[in-house]
Amino acid sequence: MLNNKTLLFFAFFFLPAIAFSQNCNVNVSGYIWDASTGEPISDAHIYLKEARKGAVSDSAGFFRLSSVCPRNYHLSVSHIGCKTRELYMTMEADTTLHIVLDHDSRLLDQVTFISPGGKTTTAEKQSLNEKNIAENANENLANMLSSISGVRVIRNGNNISTPVVHGLYGNRLTILNNGVTQSGQQWGTDHSPEIDPWAASRITVIKGVGALEYQGNSLGSIILVEPRKIEKEPHMHGKGSYFFETNGNGHGLNGQLQQHYEKPALGWRAVGTLKKSGDNETPDYYLRNTGREEANIAVQLEKAFSERWTTDLYFSSYNTNIGVLRGSHIGNLTDLEEALTREVPFFTEEDFSYNIEAPYQKVNHHLIKFHSNYFITDNLWFDLTYSGQLNYRKEFDVRRSGRTEDPSLSLRQFSHFAEGRINRQFSKGWKVKSGFQFNRVDNINLPETGVLPLIPDYISYESGIFVLASKTKEKALFEFGGRYDYEDRRIAAISSSVPREIIRYDNSFHNLGAAGGFNYELIKSLSIAYNLGYASRNPEVNELYSNGLHQGVSGIEEGDPLLKQEQSIKNTFSLKGNIKNKLFFESMVYLQQINDYIFLNPTNEVRLTIRGAFPVFEYEQTDARLFGVDAAATYKILDHFNTVIKYSFIRGQDISNNLPLIYMPSNTIYAELNYQLPKIGKFENLELQVNNRYVFEQTYLLPNQDFTAPPPGYNLAGLKASAEKQSAKMRHNFFIKMDNLFNVAYRDYLNRQRYFADDLGFNLIIGVSSSF
Amino acid sequence: MKHLNAILLATLVVLMFSASCKKDEPDDPIIPHEEEVITTLRYSLIHDTVGIPVVLSFQDLDGDGGNPPVVTADTLRAHTTYSGSLTLLNELETPAENITEEIEEEASDHQFFFQSTLSNLIVEYDDADEDGYPVGLSTTLTTGSPGSGTITIILRHEPEKDAAGVASGDIANAGGETDIEVTFNVDVK
Repeated sequence: MLNNKTLLFFAFFFLPAIAFSQNCNVNVSGYIWDASTGEPISDAHIYLKEARKGAVSDSAGFFRLSSVCPRNYHLSVSHIGCKTRELYMTMEADTTLHIVLDHDSRLLDQVTFISPGGKTTTAEKQSLNEKNIAENANENLANMLSSISGVRVIRNGNNISTPVVHGLYGNRLTILNNGVTQSGQQWGTDHSPEIDPWAASRITVIKGVGALEYQGNSLGSIILVEPRKIEKEPHMHGKGSYFFETNGNGHGLNGQLQQHYEKPALGWRAVGTLKKSGDNETPDYYLRNTGREEANIAVQLEKAFSERWTTDLYFSSYNTNIGVLRGSHIGNLTDLEEALTREVPFFTEEDFSYNIEAPYQKVNHHLIKFHSNYFITDNLWFDLTYSGQLNYRKEFDVRRSGRTEDPSLSLRQFSHFAEGRINRQFSKGWKVKSGFQFNRVDNINLPETGVLPLIPDYISYESGIFVLASKTKEKALFEFGGRYDYEDRRIAAISSSVPREIIRYDNSFHNLGAAGGFNYELIKSLSIAYNLGYASRNPEVNELYSNGLHQGVSGIEEGDPLLKQEQSIKNTFSLKGNIKNKLFFESMVYLQQINDYIFLNPTNEVRLTIRGAFPVFEYEQTDARLFGVDAAATYKILDHFNTVIKYSFIRGQDISNNLPLIYMPSNTIYAELNYQLPKIGKFENLELQVNNRYVFEQTYLLPNQDFTAPPPGYNLAGLKASAEKQSAKMRHNFFIKMDNLFNVAYRDYLNRQRYFADDLGFNLIIGVSSSF
Repeated sequence: MKHLNAILLATLVVLMFSASCKKDEPDDPIIPHEEEVITTLRYSLIHDTVGIPVVLSFQDLDGDGGNPPVVTADTLRAHTTYSGSLTLLNELETPAENITEEIEEEASDHQFFFQSTLSNLIVEYDDADEDGYPVGLSTTLTTGSPGSGTITIILRHEPEKDAAGVASGDIANAGGETDIEVTFNVDVK
């Protein structure tokens, strides 16, 4: 460290010389503002990379960097709880900057509280940002989402999980990957969404039936997975990330590079991910064959042909092998009963292994998307999108005579999607969006299995049209819209009787959706929103025509070709606000009625086969009602010390038969304490967190509705710490977290592996990412 | 507004076009060779002095689902020792595929278990895999006093043959998966 005298000495001798030759006398100063509250932010770190100069903002949000040479600079602005902003700008003369940071994460853990661009929908939205994604990179998409209140996961072990929002999942939940409805084989609970969260910069859950602009069975909510726009920055920038987790000895590596050229106006980004983990462990034993391998790549190109016409191209490839707990592969009801009574599952080994053997899943998903945007005037523009998706799903079981090498389920799905949209903004706050979508899905069983397929081959054509209008008037936003879809489906199934024959079915369905709502700011610190939506959903191919043995649950599943459409009305009411900028709260109540709700009902029949007796499950319809509450609050105890509490309650009822609905999430309560420090030594933006999640026992279920009673409630504690460090050219982020701190043995009601084994024990995850 | 009308019209045209254009039907699916299926189990019991074997047979010609299986069982003689042999077939294939050979080839990955509610009915293993553990394709069955009850035959795939009691025919610690589990109602006279 130079002392003041030396500094003075240097200044005396060299500064005039530098000033003379380069005229380095530019002063850069500015203010840092909070996007949501409009208040100044103190303790923000500002760093001019090329000048290697930094400053910290004071209590007025003011900072100053003096004697800077005139040239182009990369400027980074970081602050606790905010996404670091990277700016590229020219400093030729004295400059005063006003920099706005998106600071909402400090309020309600990523709740888009009062989003900077104003509210765009009356439906409730919550997101995960880049920091949340990076710090949970060891999790898959569904597990990551479970930190949002009202979102849970149904799992088949730790690596295969599907999100559940307000009690609905599978084909009732639409997942949009970069604006395109994810087209995969995800109608079962043992199918994970085929998306690499590391390629996304934001993941948003829209709770409500309001997202009528998207195709899909949006009876439930919508999950948007979006990559970042390429920044208009002429230099190549990149980021490398790595994590290690002790449970499963998992490693993950991610690299991203991007650049934007001014001439020709073209930007590109490439993202690659590699992940590998082995057998997970419970507090007492290894879960044999629960490893995972993943390799993904995504490429994004953006080109502006003119001021009015921009296009982008996105390609992604997702490839994974996921092991399924060996001891959960069950032959028949007797085996199941035996497996249920065991403390430690069959096939448990003493040693850790990275091996993935049968049973396992091999999934490949490739997406290509072409999008073009044309502005006729500033208030009228078109969007055109084409996308193609190719999805392979192979499931391998333990089979006799070398047939383990052959998948016992092998599906290929190829889909084409086209969309045209028109957006118009009128005076007086009116906005209208309308468009059409067309989707063709070709789903076939590859004939390599030697097994009668569970689901038949089909080709489906779906055309849809929507109109949405919204109006902002002072403190209110009104929104309403409707959509219509027509689906024509051609099916070719193989008979289950001998001699085997081909049976063809033609389905056609008309679906209607409508939604309306309003958002009203009662006072500056309190707003209410109400959203009412109606939607209908086709019975899916599996619900109509499944026929056969589902090994994973040891049951025979039978579809019903006569199933009708489901019809749903969902009401959501939310209230959010803050008291004296100290207590921030948000609560939501929802009530959804689904007529002709399709579900898999265990019948009284036990069918005799050569493999023993199996219970028969039939797809049936009933009227269902879902009611729930999500609530979250943040209290700022001190300036750098806050607590967050989240609670979700849900109850599902079969109202025709007056029974509880099976597979409804149990209630949870989550709390965290956060302490933030601007700086320790060379580390900036330190955050420390203690968290605790309590999951209640699912008591709302009758004993005969499941193979075993739901497991008792459980409590998991965790710790997390993160920090940033600025080196000359790079910015480093570090995090360390501990999940299931006390190594508690527990089972979760929504985890199907719970029939056989405990859930994961202690896990320590460390991660680092460096960006330049 | 002119723009909007034109666009709406265009949208409708596209929609009608896409809704009315010729639809492809899926190709005929290839009917798989269901080689792995076991449709038939036959347990033949031969006695030295009585020439005609007693047969316990389970046959489900269309595999899981479809028509119910046909289960037949002859009457056994009391206080008699039979030598038993198992035959497994897949009669969905023509000619019928002999699954017994497959089990023999993978003997160390398979074991049959015999359970009975009849008093004093004992089944002993007469064969062994390369590690010296029993398989159960060949057995000796000894009946006790007359009565009625059941005999259940279970084939476990990938059992833990070295677990306690498994080699002597106790299924409790065997693990693995059930490939076959059939129960016969048997009279011993």
